Amino acid sequence: MSDKSADLLPGTLDMLILKAVSLKPLHGYGVLLRIRQISRDALQIPQGSLYPALYRLEHQGLVATAWGQSENNRRAKYYTLTAAGRRRLREETAGWHRLTSAIAAALNTTSEEV
Amino acid sequence: MLKRFRSLLRVLTRRRDFEAGMAEELRFHLEQYAADLTRSGVPPEEAARRARLEFGGLNSVKGDCREARGLYLFDEIERELRYAARLLRKSPAFTATALLTLALCFGANLTIFAVIDAILLRPLPFPEAGRLVTIFNTYPKAGVERDGSSLTNYYERRGHIPAFSSLSIYRFGSAIVGEAGSTGRERITQVSPDFFTTLGAGPAFGSVFTDAETTYQTDDVAILGDAYWRQHFNGDRGAIGRTIRVDGFPKTVVGVLPAGFSFLSSESQLYLPLASSPEQRLPRERHSGGNVTQMIARLKPGATLGQAQSQIDAQNTALEKNDPQAKMMADAGFRSLVVPLHADQVAAIRPTLLLLQAGVFALLLIGTVNLVNLLLIRASGRSKELAVRQALGASRRYVVAEVVVETTLLTLLGGLLGLAVGAGGIRLVAALGADRLPFGAHIAFDLRLAMVALAAAIVLGGVLAAPIAWFNLRVYPANALQSEPRGGTAGRAAQSLRHGFIVAQIALAFVLLAGAGLLGLSLKRAMAVSPGFRSDHVITGQISLVGNKYPSPSAGLAFTGRLVDELGHQPGVLSVGAANNIPFSGANGKSAAAVEGHVLRPGESPRGHYSYGVDGDYFPAMGFTLRAGRFLTGADSRRGVRVCVVDEDFARYYWPHTSALGHRLFQGSEPGPEGEAFTVVGVVGSIKQAGLTDDAAQGAVYYPYVYRPDSNIFVAVRGSVRPDSLGHALERATRQIDPELAVNDIQSMDDRIDSSLVARRSPALLAGIFSGMALLLVAIGTYGVLSYTVAQRRREIGVRMALGARPEQIRGQFISLALRLLAGGAALGLAGAWLTGQAMRAVLFHVPAHSSAILAGSAGVIAIVALAACLLPAHRAARISPMQALADQ
Repeated sequence: MSDKSADLLPGTLDMLILKAVSLKPLHGYGVLLRIRQISRDALQIPQGSLYPALYRLEHQGLVATAWGQSENNRRAKYYTLTAAGRRRLREETAGWHRLTSAIAAALNTTSEEV
Repeated sequence: MLKRFRSLLRVLTRRRDFEAGMAEELRFHLEQYAADLTRSGVPPEEAARRARLEFGGLNSVKGDCREARGLYLFDEIERELRYAARLLRKSPAFTATALLTLALCFGANLTIFAVIDAILLRPLPFPEAGRLVTIFNTYPKAGVERDGSSLTNYYERRGHIPAFSSLSIYRFGSAIVGEAGSTGRERITQVSPDFFTTLGAGPAFGSVFTDAETTYQTDDVAILGDAYWRQHFNGDRGAIGRTIRVDGFPKTVVGVLPAGFSFLSSESQLYLPLASSPEQRLPRERHSGGNVTQMIARLKPGATLGQAQSQIDAQNTALEKNDPQAKMMADAGFRSLVVPLHADQVAAIRPTLLLLQAGVFALLLIGTVNLVNLLLIRASGRSKELAVRQALGASRRYVVAEVVVETTLLTLLGGLLGLAVGAGGIRLVAALGADRLPFGAHIAFDLRLAMVALAAAIVLGGVLAAPIAWFNLRVYPANALQSEPRGGTAGRAAQSLRHGFIVAQIALAFVLLAGAGLLGLSLKRAMAVSPGFRSDHVITGQISLVGNKYPSPSAGLAFTGRLVDELGHQPGVLSVGAANNIPFSGANGKSAAAVEGHVLRPGESPRGHYSYGVDGDYFPAMGFTLRAGRFLTGADSRRGVRVCVVDEDFARYYWPHTSALGHRLFQGSEPGPEGEAFTVVGVVGSIKQAGLTDDAAQGAVYYPYVYRPDSNIFVAVRGSVRPDSLGHALERATRQIDPELAVNDIQSMDDRIDSSLVARRSPALLAGIFSGMALLLVAIGTYGVLSYTVAQRRREIGVRMALGARPEQIRGQFISLALRLLAGGAALGLAGAWLTGQAMRAVLFHVPAHSSAILAGSAGVIAIVALAACLLPAHRAARISPMQALADQ
């Protein structure tokens, strides 16, 4: 692993999956590749925890599944974002931005500002 | 929440698809990843290996996925179930005993509950049925507890009792329906116009009766029951306006009732207006209810029974001001009682049913205790295994869950078997006559019952699990794993628990046995009562003299005369009589008779007497005994002599010191004009009128039929041949005289008396069955626990015998243990039986609530069963060989 890669913060995997799936329906392996791609290889997802997360999201009704053809013509299960999933992604994104800017602001504080 | 539940449901119902899909998806992932690795230059085998490695344990990922879909709990339960099923299969003797116990206990409880549910619990099938009440006149001091309501009561009360929103009357009866040549006898109900309004349920289509249709000239309308409509009009809605003939008179159909309509226990399929003449509604008819016309009413929302009662009382008081009979009625204790309709219908059978339910519940308790004991024994046998598992980290939750799953599986299986037993039991109680109880026809095995059984099985599973889980959690690994696991606190506590349960079991069985004994003895005493007449070789039947051919009593008299004559000449017939009513017919109304010269003493009230009109050789036919004077004969009716016969009770009451013969009396409560007096010409022995357990000596008067005629007559035939051939003779003779008449309700007097005992016989029989089952359970329980104790103490016994103990000492030790348990159980049982006897007072007949014979008998039976059950284990203990016992393990 390169120096640039980072471990996932707890709770962020769901958000990343929703984001990946929101761009285009994907099968499980595709989700893995897509997250790698959109994070420019910075985020490493433990493969074993990807599928339980996907199943959990399906159970919560945030993603829907359908069997389809993969790019090399094999049967694969595709995940798409549901309306509830889209709403959840929006909320989580906004929440994430609030959190990061707050943490950034906190970290940028200088002694004069206290 | 709902969405998740649905997702879980989808996965559960298509579990195999889910597993296959998951496997395929994960395989796809691994292969794609391996392929990508190969493409980047890794050799194929190495690529596959690395893909698997990076993915992690496939099974644990699958487990996580299942858990993510909420499947974990179900998987765990499934695993436990499989484990429990394996355990049960491994000990077939235990499982069979447990399932049999459960099936019998559940079955018995379901049976009785089905009866209670149909009769006591289900509300009447009308909207807000709790507001329906019945009102009846009672004259307790005259010996008339219940006299229905009169037409006058109805017209006086209607609209004048503010607590009622609606009030109506009805009368059950029967009628010949159909055109000449194709007639059939139907049960009918005559009702006042507001009857259906009171019930809150009326015709499905068409209309109800109107006030204009309540006179004899205008009552030519009818409302049909659904079944009759379907059968005779093929369910055609055009039936409205068509005509049917009832007792020869045309009636226009104005309405058809909905399919579910049923009023009380009546099977009536024809509703007619209850017509009356203005004379019948006059104040002087106020007390002429005669228990044929009944009143119902609906309480207004917010109105109470108490308000209704006080309004009725107030109205009665106001009306009595102008009533010449008021003084006499007050002396008779007259009141009009308002009683909830449903409760009134079931009042007589309620105590018996509740007792039976208590009895089967005791049986269930005994069964439960038995199971707990058996399970405890089994748990003791497995304590080592359990200790190992706890030492290896099985959580407390897991230990408890395992027990709960196992006991619940057991009770559910037992419950299923119990459903089958219950279905059979319901058929048994129907055969025992439960369908003749009020609402008894509604007793059925249905989904509601199955749900109750299921719920009970689950609850019982939990109840059984509690002591076992407690025991399992108290197993201390360190103690249990020693080579000699005796002496642990759990062991000692469990042993006293087991013995306590045996004591409880014996006590409960004792109570059940004593209760059954009381019922049985009551039945025996009731059966031993003589009806007062010779009931053998008598056949009786009912004939309804209706229609244009029998407009007057004299026409009826002509018919009975011919019938008596015709039958009298048949071979094998000894004597024939007819009467307006017979004892044990189920319709025994009382009416007043005024004895000439009898002055009411202060505090004495006029009495109601059983009154009959008899024709032909009624007394010889029914086997009455003559005490003085002569019997009435057919000639008395035909010559119109005003004579009568009274029974001994009557004679003793009015003429305690002189002969009754020659004295005179009048029908009705007041002496009439000189010409209407009846002279007593005979005294007959007193008979039981309504049932063998009648205690009151109410007195009876027999008039010539012509002075007390009825369109409904009973015929009694005594013969030297079998009663059923007498019945055929009766039918033949009736048809010969009038082909349109039919004889109904043909029964021998013995059968009538027999069926009057059904309310005693069936409960006694059921209680007997229950106590037999209880004894069996006690035997199983005692045997099981003692056998276990012997097996557990094998080594100790071996050592003692090696040290010189004699076999008799060992045997004696176990027998004395059994005796101690028995003594404890019997002492508790005695107390319980005493309380039970108190509670049973109402249903006992000539048996003291604390019959020492029954208590002693019960104790004896229990002692025999318990000692017999302990003999084998004790014997086995005495035969333990020290060498072998010490060599074991």
